[in-house]
Amino acid sequence: MSLGWFLARGKPDISALRQARDIRRLILLLNHGDFDVQWHAARALGTMGADATLPLIHVLGHPGINTRLGAIEALGAIRDPRAIEALAALLASHETSELRWAAALALGEIGDKTGTPALLSALRDDDRYVRYGAAKALEQVGWSAETDQDRAYYSIALQDWDAIKKLGKPATGPLIDLLKERHPAIRAQIVEILGTIGGDEAKKCCERVLRDPDGDVRWRAVLSSRRCGVPISVLPLQISRRQRTGPSAIGASILNFFFLGIGYDFAGKWWGLLILETYMMLLTLAQLELGPFMPFLIFYPVTALFAFQTYFMIQREAEMAG
Amino acid sequence: MNFFNLLGRKKPDIVGLAARKDIAGLVKALQYNDVDVQSQIAKVLGSLGTEAMDELILALKKKDKRIRLGIIEALTLIKDPRAVPALITTLNDESSEVRWEAAIALGEIGDSRAIEPLVPALKDHDKYVRYGAAFALAKIDWKPADDIQKAYYFAGMQEWKAVKLIGKSAIPALSHILNDRDSNVRQKAIEILGEIGNPDATPALIHSLGDASSEVRWKAVLSSPRCGIRLMHLPRGLSRRPKMTKNPLIAGVLNFMIPGMGYAYIGKWWGLMIYEVDIALTIWIFKYWGETNTYELLFPIYLLLAVHAYYITKKMPEPPI
Repeated sequence: MSLGWFLARGKPDISALRQARDIRRLILLLNHGDFDVQWHAARALGTMGADATLPLIHVLGHPGINTRLGAIEALGAIRDPRAIEALAALLASHETSELRWAAALALGEIGDKTGTPALLSALRDDDRYVRYGAAKALEQVGWSAETDQDRAYYSIALQDWDAIKKLGKPATGPLIDLLKERHPAIRAQIVEILGTIGGDEAKKCCERVLRDPDGDVRWRAVLSSRRCGVPISVLPLQISRRQRTGPSAIGASILNFFFLGIGYDFAGKWWGLLILETYMMLLTLAQLELGPFMPFLIFYPVTALFAFQTYFMIQREAEMAG
Repeated sequence: MNFFNLLGRKKPDIVGLAARKDIAGLVKALQYNDVDVQSQIAKVLGSLGTEAMDELILALKKKDKRIRLGIIEALTLIKDPRAVPALITTLNDESSEVRWEAAIALGEIGDSRAIEPLVPALKDHDKYVRYGAAFALAKIDWKPADDIQKAYYFAGMQEWKAVKLIGKSAIPALSHILNDRDSNVRQKAIEILGEIGNPDATPALIHSLGDASSEVRWKAVLSSPRCGIRLMHLPRGLSRRPKMTKNPLIAGVLNFMIPGMGYAYIGKWWGLMIYEVDIALTIWIFKYWGETNTYELLFPIYLLLAVHAYYITKKMPEPPI
């Protein structure tokens, strides 16, 4: 008996289940180990019509992400307006951005204007996928922006940077709001446009972005700050107050004082573990020989020297990293 | 670094070796770990002309990559067509640098026998080799048989505008380079597939939704609707991406069996510190309190550490899509 035969036997017959309108089993298959089975089960559920709406809404609370994604996909295909409330709730509150994105797209597929307020809020989401999905869904429900602010959020979601530049000052607020974005490339783009638009708000924001943890974003902020009228002389001081992403020099030196080597490991030096292993071995041997406390009197003066060295090493490396 | 260099291996006497026409000595000296010296030796070997050919071709079988690279450089300078068959064999070398240099050498020699083996090199998984093959084919005045080959050529040269202009026939070439190790190349290929906007690109785009690079995945999302893929299908496609999340159960079991390792598994630097402290403490308690007391004291602590590792792993935030 070949393995292929065995695997083929293990694959469920989705078309038979579709013909039998076995919604319950199709929903179970949304969490199948095979990606294709999940995909086909979701498609089959999408053809079940309004009968499947309530069972699918019910599984939106399922712990398996694949089941929830499949259910959202099927609800989008069924286009039953009864699903809007559940999808809007998921879009507004779910912690997994993937599910919020799928919910936004499903609301667009349903194409009912009732979902518009939830989609408008999703344009302000901190995840670019959710914002993009919401903007595309708004297009599908036939929404058109009434205010400049909504237009700005919509254009940012689509990453239509030319449209945002054309919009000018009204885009400043939404751009500043979306600096909460996690992807540095988008923050860098936003700060560049703020520099082009200019104005007091943009100026204040550029000063803030000078302290961004990402080097590229900070550099764009430097270039934009000059265009916004921030005096070049204040830039170095602002930059020096940036969020440091490297290890804390004090933390590493304290660690090295108590457990020699772990401070180096904390600072990203692979050989820190080697030193830690050696130190702990020596300490344990000394403790077995001299008792639990005596060895510390010998070891601490030595580790104190290493602690100082660690502090200055990390400070120097931070300066060099810029 | 070469072991012999560490021991203070003497710099080869290139002038002396060249004067004696000691080809074997010069080939051996290519192992000296200094690029300038290697380059100098390759030039000397190249200046020896066709009389060095046989020995050089034989030495192409040497295991050391530096020797093969140096010899190919010399053969490029000599430009003797007798080297073509050996260089063609080298196009299948395990080292991408050697394959790349072999392709360049074949182009420089300009022998039309190289065309047939250079065309498949346009499909190499390494961008340098593809670039070298395309460059060499252009030097030999090769003409692509059809638009598909033409697309492989322009993709090799990374002339993206030309690839885009080919249209639908460029899809196989672009789909092929979606396996490139460089995520920038993959991003560019996805972008062009979106600009071509043909539904035949669907399998390639769906495949890229599961790419390891977040930027490639994002480009695939933006390109998909242009190729007629319904947006609603994208979240499921993206769910296939490599997940960086850790298993709470593994973290818990590890912390129970080897305290601290569960924390190390989820990337906490202090996991190893706990591991070391545990070893020291166990030895110490064992010595002073005896075996039974050690187990009685440490077992509940290990259990607590296991439960803690389990919960912090479970509560770890998901990385952005």
